[in-house]
Amino acid sequence: MTSPPRSNKGGAASLWVLAFGLAACSHGTTSSEVTATPGPDNGKVGYVNMDALVKVHPLYPQLAHLDDDVAALELRSVGPQIARSGADIARQEAQLQRELDEAADRTKRALGDKQQEYAKQEQAAIAAALGAAGSQNGSGSIAASVAAQARVQAQRVTAASQANVDTYRRQLVDQERTAAATLDRALGERAAREYRARADELARKESDYALSLASADAAERLSLRTKLSNLALDDATRAEVTKALAALDRKEADAVGAMRNRDQATLAAFQVTLHARVRRELAQQIGSLQKRTVAKINVRQQQAQSQIVGQVGLPPTGGVAVPPGVGPGMRQKLETLHARFQHDFDRDASQTVAQFQRTRAELTRRFHALAGADAADRSGAERQIDALQKQRGDLYGEMVAQINREVKVIAQKRGIGVVVSNVVAPAGGVDLTSEAQKDIESLHE
Amino acid sequence: MTALATVAFAIAAFAPAGLAADVTDIGYVDQAALSSIPSFLSANRQLAAYKAQLDRQFARQLRGVRDAGTQARIGQQYQNRLAQRQRDLFGPLFQRAQVAIASVASSKNLSVVVDKRIVVFGGQDVTGSVEQLLSGPGDPIPPVSSPPPSSVGYVDQAQIDTIPRLKAANDDFQKFQAAQQQQAQTKLRQAKNDAERQAVLKNYQATLADRQKQTIQPLVDQTRDAIADVAKKKGLLLVIDRSNLIYGGTDITSDVTTALK
Repeated sequence: MTSPPRSNKGGAASLWVLAFGLAACSHGTTSSEVTATPGPDNGKVGYVNMDALVKVHPLYPQLAHLDDDVAALELRSVGPQIARSGADIARQEAQLQRELDEAADRTKRALGDKQQEYAKQEQAAIAAALGAAGSQNGSGSIAASVAAQARVQAQRVTAASQANVDTYRRQLVDQERTAAATLDRALGERAAREYRARADELARKESDYALSLASADAAERLSLRTKLSNLALDDATRAEVTKALAALDRKEADAVGAMRNRDQATLAAFQVTLHARVRRELAQQIGSLQKRTVAKINVRQQQAQSQIVGQVGLPPTGGVAVPPGVGPGMRQKLETLHARFQHDFDRDASQTVAQFQRTRAELTRRFHALAGADAADRSGAERQIDALQKQRGDLYGEMVAQINREVKVIAQKRGIGVVVSNVVAPAGGVDLTSEAQKDIESLHE
Repeated sequence: MTALATVAFAIAAFAPAGLAADVTDIGYVDQAALSSIPSFLSANRQLAAYKAQLDRQFARQLRGVRDAGTQARIGQQYQNRLAQRQRDLFGPLFQRAQVAIASVASSKNLSVVVDKRIVVFGGQDVTGSVEQLLSGPGDPIPPVSSPPPSSVGYVDQAQIDTIPRLKAANDDFQKFQAAQQQQAQTKLRQAKNDAERQAVLKNYQATLADRQKQTIQPLVDQTRDAIADVAKKKGLLLVIDRSNLIYGGTDITSDVTTALK
């Protein structure tokens, strides 16, 4: 009967890592290359505290700096903890909308008051004209009819125009948000491509360099290996040759490691430049988008203003409802009177409406600044965090690879068969941490 | 990972002497390499396509939603659907990989196979053999016997963290962290320059570190001591976390849990 492997439970969590590329780059250990020399700890298992070793590595300050940057960005923004959260934006937008509504109400009230005032004045003028001509009949009702029609029309036109402008503004804002998100993605992808291209180029150079070093030392290495294959070699000479071979390996590894460190710094600087450029371009392009949107809204507002000024107030065409029995002279006089009051009211009302439009334009500008700032802040911070984490991962990988090389040398020297990191409890293993710490600290020199 | 688990890994432990044993039966697998097997690549592509489709739906749903609660609810639905798809796609593949690893380990007389990422030096790399088995026709055949007793132990740190007093300490710390984070965010918004922002950040980190030292560190020490005691009694060479174990090993989680209660 086949019994199930005991590992299933323990291994499942670990294997889940596979799917999403989270299984970070390996540390480059290959057991086949290892030749353990006899030593006091021969056959034992060793372990190191990788965190402690990373902390004494010469590049640790850079790693800590990256950690701080990521922590600062995470604290400042992104996701549910975003400083300027969706709720914050909604509150600020609601406040702007309240200010806009209040300004619209004030304008409506001012226009209504002016309308009544002009209607009264026109009514009085018409009554005076008819009175002077001896026709008292109907003068009051004519003026009242004029005023009522004007009021209804004004309310209808103002409400319709405002609704149109508001709808248009919302549509433009939605379009602008979509465009900003697309732009952000495109810029981010472009920067990532540039970064990858530069990283690939540097990696190629590192490989070429490693190959050239290996080629240069090939003759010496072959000679040493040939000596080692001599079975008659005495123990002292064998140890000496093994040491020379290890020194050769180490010399090459250090040279390539130094080049990698320089490349890492180059990449870090390039990353910063890319970030700055993407943020600058994003800010510029979002600014242009906002300007275009505000300009479009202003055009629509101007159109609405003309519509309001043209239609609000006294009926612009068709003249006054003149009662029967009024002669052509009086009719002409009443129409002239109406035209004069219409003109005066239009001029006065247009100033009030213009004032309202200025207020609305300012609020619209603030509204867009708010939406744009939100998009730029959120996307910029998210991208920065991703890039920094990638940079941190690369740097950490380099550091661990170097630490592993040092630990390998120690383990070989002591004849330890296997060394692992990240142990929860050591039990009977050999702790190589402090010895490795000394060697890694010497890299500072 | 919880605060306890995080801190546990960061501790430099002291090794008691005198429990040396033969360690030639430790193998490791490079999981990153396994993920480049055609069946995994295909599943990854399918998942990526599904995610792209889900992203578009998510963006449409979120458009115009300003309420944080609704945003969180939609986000949770998104995560659930993605996780379900992952399970559907990768579950059978993982099972197959597990059988392949067990089969290779058994044929090489390994008592334990761990993740390559924790192996600094030595051990047997069985990645190639597992890849070969997974890429071949038909299903790998499970080994006929259980793995031999191993001198490498493992604990499920996540399970240990559910012990009531440890969980209470963790929950308490997380609440404290959330409150501190909120305060720090408010201060960051009010900060006038980079120097002020740096000061806020440093203060935030120092406050958390202090709190961790006071409330979490003693529990971490107790846990580590309990694990070490159990390991000594069972003659284990070292103990790793379950997340780094792929096959075999000696599970001492329940012994440690009992010792800590």
